[in-house]
Amino acid sequence: MKKLLKSKWFIALIVLLVLAAGAILSLLPGSPIKNLLKPVQLVSSPAQSLVKKAGDTLSDFWSAITDGIAIREENRALKEQIADLRYRLTQNEEAALRYEELKDALHIKDMFSNYEIYGASILSRESDEWFSTIRLNAGVTDGIALEEGNSYPVLDVEMNLVGRVIETSDKESRVLPLLHEGFAVAGKVNEVNGTTFMIYGDAELKRQGLCLVKDIDPNVLIEPGMEIVTSGDGGLFPEGIPIGVIESVDYSNPLNVTATLRPYSQIGKLEDVFIMIPYVEETAEETAATVV
Amino acid sequence: MKLINVTTKNRIRKIVVYAIYIILLSSLQVSFPERISFLGQTADLVFVFVVLSGYFNGFWDGAVVGFISGMIRDVFSPPAVVGLDGEVRVTAFVGVFTLFAAGIIGASFFTRRMHRNIPFSIVSVIFVTVCYKVAGYILIYGWSNLAGIESSLYEPLTAFVYSFLPQLLLNTLAAIPLIVLLRFLGPVSFRDTKKDDEIIEQGESTWLGI
Repeated sequence: MKKLLKSKWFIALIVLLVLAAGAILSLLPGSPIKNLLKPVQLVSSPAQSLVKKAGDTLSDFWSAITDGIAIREENRALKEQIADLRYRLTQNEEAALRYEELKDALHIKDMFSNYEIYGASILSRESDEWFSTIRLNAGVTDGIALEEGNSYPVLDVEMNLVGRVIETSDKESRVLPLLHEGFAVAGKVNEVNGTTFMIYGDAELKRQGLCLVKDIDPNVLIEPGMEIVTSGDGGLFPEGIPIGVIESVDYSNPLNVTATLRPYSQIGKLEDVFIMIPYVEETAEETAATVV
Repeated sequence: MKLINVTTKNRIRKIVVYAIYIILLSSLQVSFPERISFLGQTADLVFVFVVLSGYFNGFWDGAVVGFISGMIRDVFSPPAVVGLDGEVRVTAFVGVFTLFAAGIIGASFFTRRMHRNIPFSIVSVIFVTVCYKVAGYILIYGWSNLAGIESSLYEPLTAFVYSFLPQLLLNTLAAIPLIVLLRFLGPVSFRDTKKDDEIIEQGESTWLGI
Protein backbone atom coordinates (compact mmCIF):
# COMPACT_ATOMS: atom_id res chain seq x y z
CA MET A 1 0.00 0.00 0.00
CA LYS A 2 2.81 2.38 0.98
CA LYS A 3 4.55 1.61 -2.29
CA LEU A 4 1.37 2.37 -4.20
CA LEU A 5 0.88 5.69 -2.41
CA LYS A 6 4.45 6.71 -3.26
CA SER A 7 4.13 5.65 -6.89
CA LYS A 8 4.37 8.62 -9.25
CA TRP A 9 1.76 7.07 -11.51
CA PHE A 10 -0.69 6.74 -8.64
CA ILE A 11 -0.12 10.40 -7.71
CA ALA A 12 -0.56 11.44 -11.36
CA LEU A 13 -3.77 9.46 -11.62
CA ILE A 14 -5.19 11.09 -8.48
CA VAL A 15 -4.24 14.55 -9.78
CA LEU A 16 -5.89 13.80 -13.14
CA LEU A 17 -9.07 12.60 -11.43
CA VAL A 18 -9.20 15.72 -9.24
CA LEU A 19 -8.66 17.94 -12.29
CA ALA A 20 -11.36 16.12 -14.26
CA ALA A 21 -13.76 16.57 -11.33
CA GLY A 22 -12.81 20.26 -11.15
CA ALA A 23 -13.45 20.69 -14.89
CA ILE A 24 -16.90 19.10 -14.60
CA LEU A 25 -17.76 21.14 -11.48
CA SER A 26 -16.77 24.34 -13.28
CA LEU A 27 -19.64 23.73 -15.71
CA LEU A 28 -22.22 24.03 -12.94
CA PRO A 29 -24.10 27.35 -12.82
CA GLY A 30 -22.41 29.80 -10.43
CA SER A 31 -19.57 27.42 -9.71
CA PRO A 32 -16.99 29.10 -7.44
CA ILE A 33 -14.25 26.69 -8.51
CA LYS A 34 -12.98 29.12 -11.17
CA ASN A 35 -11.89 31.45 -8.36
CA LEU A 36 -9.01 29.07 -7.72
CA LEU A 37 -7.41 30.39 -10.92
CA LYS A 38 -7.61 34.06 -9.84
CA PRO A 39 -4.10 34.18 -8.31
CA VAL A 40 -2.69 32.79 -11.58
CA GLN A 41 -4.62 35.46 -13.48
CA LEU A 42 -3.15 38.20 -11.27
CA VAL A 43 0.39 37.13 -12.12
CA SER A 44 0.04 36.00 -15.71
CA SER A 45 -2.19 38.73 -17.18
CA PRO A 46 0.27 41.63 -16.74
CA ALA A 47 3.07 39.46 -18.08
CA GLN A 48 1.02 38.57 -21.14
CA SER A 49 0.12 42.23 -21.74
CA LEU A 50 3.82 43.06 -21.64
CA VAL A 51 4.68 40.33 -24.15
CA LYS A 52 1.82 41.43 -26.41
CA LYS A 53 2.94 45.08 -26.29
CA ALA A 54 6.52 44.07 -27.06
CA GLY A 55 5.32 41.93 -29.96
CA ASP A 56 3.12 44.71 -31.31
CA THR A 57 5.98 47.20 -31.04
CA LEU A 58 8.31 44.88 -32.94
CA SER A 59 5.62 44.24 -35.53
CA ASP A 60 4.99 47.98 -35.93
CA PHE A 61 8.71 48.66 -36.23
CA TRP A 62 9.03 46.02 -38.92
CA SER A 63 6.00 47.39 -40.74
CA ALA A 64 7.45 50.90 -40.56
CA ILE A 65 10.60 49.69 -42.30
CA THR A 66 8.93 47.54 -44.95
CA ASP A 67 5.91 49.73 -45.63
CA GLY A 68 7.68 53.11 -45.50
CA ILE A 69 7.06 54.07 -49.12
CA ALA A 70 3.51 52.76 -49.15
CA ILE A 71 2.76 54.61 -45.92
CA ARG A 72 4.01 57.92 -47.33
CA GLU A 73 1.79 57.48 -50.38
CA GLU A 74 -1.15 56.48 -48.21
CA ASN A 75 -0.50 59.45 -45.94
CA ARG A 76 -0.73 61.84 -48.88
CA ALA A 77 -4.00 60.25 -50.03
CA LEU A 78 -5.37 60.34 -46.47
CA LYS A 79 -4.56 64.04 -46.13
CA GLU A 80 -6.58 64.72 -49.26
CA GLN A 81 -9.35 62.56 -47.88
CA ILE A 82 -9.31 64.43 -44.56
CA ALA A 83 -9.68 67.76 -46.36
CA ASP A 84 -12.62 66.39 -48.34
CA LEU A 85 -14.22 64.89 -45.20
CA ARG A 86 -13.83 68.16 -43.28
CA TYR A 87 -15.74 69.91 -46.01
CA ARG A 88 -18.47 67.27 -45.94
CA LEU A 89 -18.57 67.33 -42.13
CA THR A 90 -19.33 71.03 -42.15
CA GLN A 91 -22.17 70.35 -44.54
CA ASN A 92 -23.46 67.41 -42.51
CA GLU A 93 -23.45 69.18 -39.16
CA GLU A 94 -26.49 71.13 -40.16
CA ALA A 95 -28.17 68.02 -41.53
CA ALA A 96 -27.48 66.21 -38.24
CA LEU A 97 -29.16 68.97 -36.26
CA ARG A 98 -32.15 68.72 -38.58
CA TYR A 99 -32.20 64.92 -38.14
CA GLU A 100 -32.26 65.21 -34.35
CA GLU A 101 -35.23 67.57 -34.59
CA LEU A 102 -37.03 65.19 -36.94
CA LYS A 103 -36.15 62.18 -34.81
CA ASP A 104 -37.75 63.73 -31.77
CA ALA A 105 -40.67 64.95 -33.78
CA LEU A 106 -41.41 61.67 -35.52
CA HIS A 107 -40.36 59.46 -32.56
CA ILE A 108 -37.91 57.54 -34.66
CA LYS A 109 -36.40 54.92 -32.44
CA ASP A 110 -32.66 54.67 -32.83
CA MET A 111 -31.78 51.04 -33.30
CA PHE A 112 -29.26 50.85 -30.48
CA SER A 113 -30.41 53.75 -28.35
CA ASN A 114 -31.38 51.37 -25.54
CA TYR A 115 -27.84 50.10 -25.26
CA GLU A 116 -24.74 51.48 -23.67
CA ILE A 117 -21.61 50.80 -25.71
CA TYR A 118 -18.34 49.93 -23.95
CA GLY A 119 -15.04 49.75 -25.82
CA ALA A 120 -12.52 47.00 -25.03
CA SER A 121 -9.30 45.62 -26.46
CA ILE A 122 -8.64 41.97 -27.20
CA LEU A 123 -6.06 40.61 -24.76
CA SER A 124 -5.80 37.05 -25.99
CA ARG A 125 -7.30 34.90 -28.72
CA GLU A 126 -7.94 31.22 -29.13
CA SER A 127 -4.84 29.12 -28.53
CA ASP A 128 -5.93 26.10 -30.55
CA GLU A 129 -8.88 24.33 -32.11
CA TRP A 130 -10.56 23.70 -28.76
CA PHE A 131 -9.22 26.34 -26.37
CA SER A 132 -11.17 28.99 -28.16
CA THR A 133 -12.55 31.82 -26.09
CA ILE A 134 -11.39 35.43 -26.49
CA ARG A 135 -10.30 37.58 -23.53
CA LEU A 136 -11.10 41.30 -23.33
CA ASN A 137 -9.59 43.94 -21.04
CA ALA A 138 -12.92 45.14 -19.63
CA GLY A 139 -14.64 43.61 -16.65
CA VAL A 140 -16.89 44.26 -13.69
CA THR A 141 -14.89 47.32 -12.59
CA ASP A 142 -15.53 48.84 -16.03
CA GLY A 143 -19.27 48.27 -15.76
CA ILE A 144 -19.44 44.91 -17.57
CA ALA A 145 -21.27 42.95 -14.89
CA LEU A 146 -22.88 39.76 -16.09
CA GLU A 147 -25.56 37.84 -14.27
CA GLU A 148 -25.89 34.05 -14.55
CA GLY A 149 -27.73 33.12 -17.74
CA ASN A 150 -27.28 36.57 -19.23
CA SER A 151 -24.99 37.63 -22.08
CA TYR A 152 -23.98 40.77 -24.01
CA PRO A 153 -23.42 41.18 -27.75
CA VAL A 154 -19.90 42.06 -28.89
CA LEU A 155 -19.37 44.06 -32.09
CA ASP A 156 -16.34 45.17 -34.10
CA VAL A 157 -15.52 48.77 -34.99
CA GLU A 158 -17.82 48.57 -38.01
CA MET A 159 -20.66 47.37 -35.78
CA ASN A 160 -20.62 43.81 -37.18
CA LEU A 161 -21.34 40.92 -34.82
CA VAL A 162 -18.23 39.32 -33.28
CA GLY A 163 -19.73 37.14 -30.53
CA ARG A 164 -21.14 37.46 -27.05
CA VAL A 165 -19.72 37.93 -23.56
CA ILE A 166 -20.23 34.75 -21.53
CA GLU A 167 -18.17 35.45 -18.42
CA THR A 168 -16.75 38.45 -16.63
CA SER A 169 -14.21 38.86 -13.86
CA ASP A 170 -13.03 42.03 -12.12
CA LYS A 171 -10.96 43.35 -15.01
CA GLU A 172 -11.59 40.93 -17.85
CA SER A 173 -14.39 39.42 -19.92
CA ARG A 174 -14.52 36.27 -22.00
CA VAL A 175 -16.20 36.21 -25.38
CA LEU A 176 -17.73 33.26 -27.19
CA PRO A 177 -16.88 34.02 -30.84
CA LEU A 178 -19.38 33.74 -33.67
CA LEU A 179 -17.59 30.72 -35.17
CA HIS A 180 -17.59 28.70 -31.92
CA GLU A 181 -19.63 25.46 -32.01
CA GLY A 182 -21.70 26.64 -29.04
CA PHE A 183 -22.72 29.95 -30.64
CA ALA A 184 -26.27 30.50 -31.88
CA VAL A 185 -28.08 33.64 -33.00
CA ALA A 186 -31.41 34.32 -34.69
CA GLY A 187 -30.88 36.05 -38.02
CA LYS A 188 -32.87 37.37 -40.96
CA VAL A 189 -32.36 38.59 -44.48
CA ASN A 190 -31.70 42.31 -44.33
CA GLU A 191 -34.87 43.51 -46.02
CA VAL A 192 -38.36 44.49 -44.94
CA ASN A 193 -40.08 41.39 -43.48
CA GLY A 194 -37.00 39.33 -44.36
CA THR A 195 -37.28 35.62 -43.59
CA THR A 196 -35.82 34.50 -40.25
CA PHE A 197 -33.65 31.48 -39.36
CA MET A 198 -30.97 30.37 -36.92
CA ILE A 199 -27.22 30.78 -37.38
CA TYR A 200 -24.85 28.40 -35.60
CA GLY A 201 -21.12 27.97 -35.20
CA ASP A 202 -19.98 24.66 -36.69
CA ALA A 203 -16.72 22.78 -36.06
CA GLU A 204 -16.28 21.71 -39.67
CA LEU A 205 -17.14 25.09 -41.20
CA LYS A 206 -15.02 26.96 -38.67
CA ARG A 207 -11.77 26.20 -40.47
CA GLN A 208 -13.22 27.91 -43.58
CA GLY A 209 -14.37 30.87 -41.48
CA LEU A 210 -18.05 30.08 -42.07
CA CYS A 211 -21.21 29.61 -39.98
CA LEU A 212 -24.12 27.24 -40.55
CA VAL A 213 -27.61 28.62 -41.28
CA LYS A 214 -30.48 26.29 -40.32
CA ASP A 215 -34.23 26.33 -39.87
CA ILE A 216 -34.72 28.03 -43.24
CA ASP A 217 -38.27 28.11 -44.57
CA PRO A 218 -38.14 25.87 -47.69
CA ASN A 219 -40.65 28.11 -49.45
CA VAL A 220 -38.38 31.13 -49.22
CA LEU A 221 -35.59 31.76 -51.69
CA ILE A 222 -32.23 32.39 -50.08
CA GLU A 223 -29.40 33.29 -52.42
CA PRO A 224 -25.64 33.70 -52.08
CA GLY A 225 -24.67 37.30 -51.49
CA MET A 226 -27.74 38.16 -49.37
CA GLU A 227 -26.89 40.22 -46.31
CA ILE A 228 -27.89 38.69 -42.96
CA VAL A 229 -28.54 40.69 -39.81
CA THR A 230 -29.74 39.77 -36.32
CA SER A 231 -33.51 39.36 -36.17
CA GLY A 232 -33.90 40.38 -32.54
CA ASP A 233 -35.70 37.11 -31.69
CA GLY A 234 -34.72 35.73 -28.31
CA GLY A 235 -34.01 39.16 -26.90
CA LEU A 236 -30.26 38.77 -26.49
CA PHE A 237 -29.17 40.56 -29.67
CA PRO A 238 -31.03 43.68 -30.82
CA GLU A 239 -32.45 43.61 -34.33
CA GLY A 240 -30.33 44.81 -37.23
CA ILE A 241 -26.73 44.00 -36.27
CA PRO A 242 -24.95 42.95 -39.49
CA ILE A 243 -23.65 39.37 -39.28
CA GLY A 244 -22.42 38.52 -42.77
CA VAL A 245 -23.42 37.34 -46.23
CA ILE A 246 -24.78 34.01 -47.47
CA GLU A 247 -21.98 32.02 -49.12
CA SER A 248 -23.89 28.97 -50.39
CA VAL A 249 -27.33 27.37 -50.05
CA ASP A 250 -28.19 23.66 -50.00
CA TYR A 251 -31.74 22.90 -51.16
CA SER A 252 -31.03 19.17 -51.69
CA ASN A 253 -33.26 18.22 -48.75
CA PRO A 254 -36.45 20.33 -48.88
CA LEU A 255 -37.19 19.45 -45.26
CA ASN A 256 -33.81 20.64 -44.08
CA VAL A 257 -32.61 23.57 -46.14
CA THR A 258 -29.25 24.80 -44.91
CA ALA A 259 -26.83 27.51 -45.94
CA THR A 260 -23.39 28.75 -45.07
CA LEU A 261 -22.68 32.29 -44.00
CA ARG A 262 -19.42 34.22 -44.15
CA PRO A 263 -19.28 36.64 -41.21
CA TYR A 264 -18.21 40.21 -41.88
CA SER A 265 -16.12 40.28 -38.76
CA GLN A 266 -12.63 38.79 -39.10
CA ILE A 267 -11.79 37.89 -35.53
CA GLY A 268 -8.14 37.13 -36.25
CA LYS A 269 -7.55 40.72 -37.35
CA LEU A 270 -9.50 42.51 -34.62
CA GLU A 271 -7.77 44.59 -31.96
CA ASP A 272 -10.70 46.50 -30.45
CA VAL A 273 -14.35 45.56 -29.97
CA PHE A 274 -17.49 47.06 -28.43
CA ILE A 275 -19.76 45.47 -25.85
CA MET A 276 -23.46 46.39 -25.95
CA ILE A 277 -25.14 46.51 -22.57
CA PRO A 278 -28.86 47.23 -22.39
CA TYR A 279 -29.94 50.07 -20.12
CA VAL A 280 -31.77 48.69 -17.13
CA GLU A 281 -35.04 50.49 -16.63
CA GLU A 282 -35.33 51.68 -13.06
CA THR A 283 -38.37 50.42 -11.21
CA ALA A 284 -40.58 52.85 -9.32
CA GLU A 285 -39.10 51.66 -6.01
CA GLU A 286 -35.54 52.21 -7.21
CA THR A 287 -36.41 55.66 -8.50
CA ALA A 288 -37.97 56.55 -5.18
CA ALA A 289 -34.89 55.26 -3.36
CA THR A 290 -32.64 57.39 -5.59
CA VAL A 291 -34.75 60.49 -4.90
CA VAL A 292 -34.63 59.86 -1.14
CA MET B 1 31.46 32.03 2.49
CA LYS B 2 28.92 30.43 0.21
CA LEU B 3 25.36 31.45 0.89
CA ILE B 4 23.78 29.08 -1.62
CA ASN B 5 25.23 25.77 -2.65
CA VAL B 6 25.55 24.62 -6.27
CA THR B 7 22.47 22.36 -6.20
CA THR B 8 20.26 25.16 -4.88
CA LYS B 9 21.71 27.57 -7.44
CA ASN B 10 20.97 25.13 -10.25
CA ARG B 11 17.49 24.57 -8.95
CA ILE B 12 16.76 28.31 -8.78
CA ARG B 13 18.18 28.77 -12.27
CA LYS B 14 16.00 25.95 -13.54
CA ILE B 15 12.85 27.44 -11.99
CA VAL B 16 13.62 30.91 -13.39
CA VAL B 17 14.29 29.56 -16.88
CA TYR B 18 11.13 27.45 -16.79
CA ALA B 19 9.09 30.45 -15.60
CA ILE B 20 10.40 32.61 -18.45
CA TYR B 21 9.62 29.92 -21.04
CA ILE B 22 6.13 29.31 -19.67
CA ILE B 23 5.13 32.99 -19.55
CA LEU B 24 6.72 33.82 -22.90
CA LEU B 25 5.33 30.86 -24.82
CA SER B 26 1.86 31.07 -23.23
CA SER B 27 1.69 34.78 -24.08
CA LEU B 28 2.92 34.33 -27.66
CA GLN B 29 0.44 31.50 -28.16
CA VAL B 30 -2.61 33.65 -27.41
CA SER B 31 -1.31 37.05 -28.55
CA PHE B 32 -0.30 36.21 -32.11
CA PRO B 33 -1.98 32.89 -32.98
CA GLU B 34 -2.61 33.94 -36.60
CA ARG B 35 1.16 34.03 -37.22
CA ILE B 36 1.63 30.39 -36.26
CA SER B 37 -1.49 28.99 -37.95
CA PHE B 38 -1.96 26.80 -40.98
CA LEU B 39 -5.18 25.33 -42.39
CA GLY B 40 -7.17 26.48 -39.37
CA GLN B 41 -4.82 24.88 -36.84
CA THR B 42 -2.38 26.71 -34.58
CA ALA B 43 1.07 25.46 -33.56
CA ASP B 44 0.75 24.66 -29.88
CA LEU B 45 4.02 26.07 -28.55
CA VAL B 46 3.14 25.47 -24.90
CA PHE B 47 2.01 21.91 -25.52
CA VAL B 48 5.24 21.10 -27.39
CA PHE B 49 7.32 22.75 -24.66
CA VAL B 50 5.60 20.72 -21.94
CA VAL B 51 6.16 17.46 -23.85
CA LEU B 52 9.82 18.30 -24.44
CA SER B 53 10.32 19.25 -20.77
CA GLY B 54 8.92 15.89 -19.75
CA TYR B 55 10.90 14.01 -22.39
CA PHE B 56 14.28 15.59 -21.60
CA ASN B 57 14.01 16.28 -17.89
CA GLY B 58 11.78 13.50 -16.62
CA PHE B 59 8.42 12.85 -15.04
CA TRP B 60 8.31 15.53 -12.34
CA ASP B 61 9.51 18.32 -14.62
CA GLY B 62 6.88 17.33 -17.19
CA ALA B 63 4.19 17.15 -14.55
CA VAL B 64 4.99 20.46 -12.83
CA VAL B 65 5.62 22.41 -16.05
CA GLY B 66 2.43 20.92 -17.53
CA PHE B 67 0.40 21.80 -14.45
CA ILE B 68 1.55 25.44 -14.31
CA SER B 69 1.33 25.97 -18.07
CA GLY B 70 -2.16 24.46 -17.96
CA MET B 71 -3.30 26.91 -15.28
CA ILE B 72 -2.08 29.80 -17.42
CA ARG B 73 -3.88 28.34 -20.44
CA ASP B 74 -7.07 28.14 -18.39
CA VAL B 75 -6.70 31.83 -17.63
CA PHE B 76 -5.74 32.97 -21.15
CA SER B 77 -8.01 30.93 -23.40
CA PRO B 78 -10.19 28.41 -21.60
CA PRO B 79 -12.53 26.30 -23.71
CA ALA B 80 -16.23 27.11 -23.66
CA VAL B 81 -18.42 24.03 -23.42
CA VAL B 82 -22.16 23.46 -23.60
CA GLY B 83 -23.17 22.38 -20.09
CA LEU B 84 -25.71 19.74 -19.14
CA ASP B 85 -28.35 22.49 -18.94
CA GLY B 86 -27.65 23.57 -22.54
CA GLU B 87 -25.92 26.83 -21.54
CA VAL B 88 -22.46 27.55 -22.92
CA ARG B 89 -19.99 28.04 -20.07
CA VAL B 90 -16.31 28.76 -19.72
CA THR B 91 -14.60 25.78 -18.11
CA ALA B 92 -11.74 25.63 -15.64
CA PHE B 93 -8.95 23.05 -15.30
CA VAL B 94 -9.34 21.54 -18.77
CA GLY B 95 -6.04 23.19 -19.73
CA VAL B 96 -4.33 21.90 -16.57
CA PHE B 97 -5.68 18.41 -17.21
CA THR B 98 -4.49 18.44 -20.84
CA LEU B 99 -1.02 19.82 -20.29
CA PHE B 100 -0.39 17.84 -17.09
CA ALA B 101 -1.26 14.66 -19.00
CA ALA B 102 0.91 15.78 -21.95
CA GLY B 103 3.86 16.36 -19.60
CA ILE B 104 3.69 12.94 -17.98
CA ILE B 105 3.05 11.09 -21.24
CA GLY B 106 5.96 12.98 -22.83
CA ALA B 107 8.14 11.86 -19.92
CA SER B 108 7.13 8.25 -20.18
CA PHE B 109 7.53 7.08 -23.75
CA PHE B 110 10.72 6.61 -25.75
CA THR B 111 12.73 8.19 -22.95
CA ARG B 112 14.86 5.49 -21.39
CA ARG B 113 15.29 3.21 -24.37
CA MET B 114 16.19 6.13 -26.61
CA HIS B 115 18.37 7.78 -23.94
CA ARG B 116 16.31 10.96 -24.30
CA ASN B 117 17.98 11.67 -27.63
CA ILE B 118 16.97 14.62 -29.80
CA PRO B 119 15.46 12.82 -32.84
CA PHE B 120 13.17 10.80 -30.62
CA SER B 121 12.03 13.94 -28.80
CA ILE B 122 10.31 14.86 -32.09
CA VAL B 123 8.75 11.39 -32.25
CA SER B 124 7.54 11.97 -28.71
CA VAL B 125 5.96 15.31 -29.70
CA ILE B 126 4.20 13.61 -32.63
CA PHE B 127 3.02 10.74 -30.44
CA VAL B 128 1.63 12.99 -27.68
CA THR B 129 -0.02 15.28 -30.28
CA VAL B 130 -1.82 12.27 -31.77
CA CYS B 131 -2.89 11.18 -28.26
CA TYR B 132 -4.19 14.72 -27.58
CA LYS B 133 -6.19 14.90 -30.79
CA VAL B 134 -7.69 11.42 -30.44
CA ALA B 135 -8.56 12.01 -26.77
CA GLY B 136 -10.01 15.42 -27.63
CA TYR B 137 -12.35 14.03 -30.27
CA ILE B 138 -13.41 11.13 -28.03
CA LEU B 139 -14.10 13.53 -25.14
CA ILE B 140 -16.12 15.91 -27.31
CA TYR B 141 -18.12 13.04 -28.75
CA GLY B 142 -18.72 11.53 -25.30
CA TRP B 143 -19.65 14.85 -23.71
CA SER B 144 -22.00 15.74 -26.59
CA ASN B 145 -23.81 12.44 -26.11
CA LEU B 146 -23.97 12.90 -22.34
CA ALA B 147 -25.26 16.46 -22.59
CA GLY B 148 -27.69 15.45 -25.34
CA ILE B 149 -26.41 18.10 -27.73
CA GLU B 150 -25.82 17.81 -31.44
CA SER B 151 -22.06 17.71 -31.93
CA SER B 152 -20.65 19.17 -35.11
CA LEU B 153 -17.60 16.94 -35.22
CA TYR B 154 -15.46 16.35 -38.28
CA GLU B 155 -15.91 13.18 -40.31
CA PRO B 156 -12.90 10.90 -39.62
CA LEU B 157 -11.22 11.61 -42.98
CA THR B 158 -11.81 15.38 -42.67
CA ALA B 159 -10.47 15.30 -39.12
CA PHE B 160 -7.35 13.51 -40.34
CA VAL B 161 -6.70 15.87 -43.24
CA TYR B 162 -7.72 19.19 -41.67
CA SER B 163 -7.10 18.66 -37.98
CA PHE B 164 -4.52 15.93 -37.33
CA LEU B 165 -2.11 16.51 -40.23
CA PRO B 166 -1.78 20.33 -39.97
CA GLN B 167 -1.48 20.09 -36.18
CA LEU B 168 1.19 17.40 -36.43
CA LEU B 169 3.11 19.40 -39.01
CA LEU B 170 2.92 22.62 -36.99
CA ASN B 171 3.83 20.99 -33.69
CA THR B 172 6.76 19.16 -35.30
CA LEU B 173 8.02 22.41 -36.82
CA ALA B 174 7.55 24.20 -33.48
CA ALA B 175 9.56 21.46 -31.74
CA ILE B 176 12.72 22.24 -33.73
CA PRO B 177 13.36 25.81 -32.47
CA LEU B 178 12.18 24.82 -29.00
CA ILE B 179 14.72 21.98 -28.85
CA VAL B 180 17.44 24.41 -29.94
CA LEU B 181 16.33 26.87 -27.24
CA LEU B 182 16.23 24.16 -24.60
CA ARG B 183 19.65 22.96 -25.70
CA PHE B 184 21.37 26.34 -25.54
CA LEU B 185 19.44 28.20 -22.85
CA GLY B 186 18.57 25.26 -20.64
CA PRO B 187 17.18 23.94 -18.43
CA VAL B 188 17.77 20.66 -20.21
CA SER B 189 20.93 18.76 -19.55
CA PHE B 190 22.08 16.81 -22.59
CA ARG B 191 24.50 14.67 -20.66
CA ASP B 192 24.91 10.99 -21.36
CA THR B 193 21.74 9.42 -20.05
CA LYS B 194 22.58 5.79 -20.79
CA LYS B 195 22.90 5.07 -17.09
CA ASP B 196 19.23 6.05 -16.68
CA ASP B 197 18.20 2.86 -18.51
CA GLU B 198 15.56 1.08 -16.51
CA ILE B 199 16.32 -2.61 -16.17
CA ILE B 200 13.27 -4.67 -15.31
CA GLU B 201 13.86 -8.08 -13.78
CA GLN B 202 11.08 -10.60 -14.40
CA GLY B 203 11.95 -14.02 -13.12
CA GLU B 204 14.97 -15.14 -15.07
CA SER B 205 14.45 -12.56 -17.83
CA THR B 206 15.88 -9.06 -17.94
CA TRP B 207 14.08 -6.34 -19.89
CA LEU B 208 15.09 -2.83 -20.86
CA GLY B 209 12.32 -0.41 -19.92
CA ILE B 210 11.07 2.01 -22.55
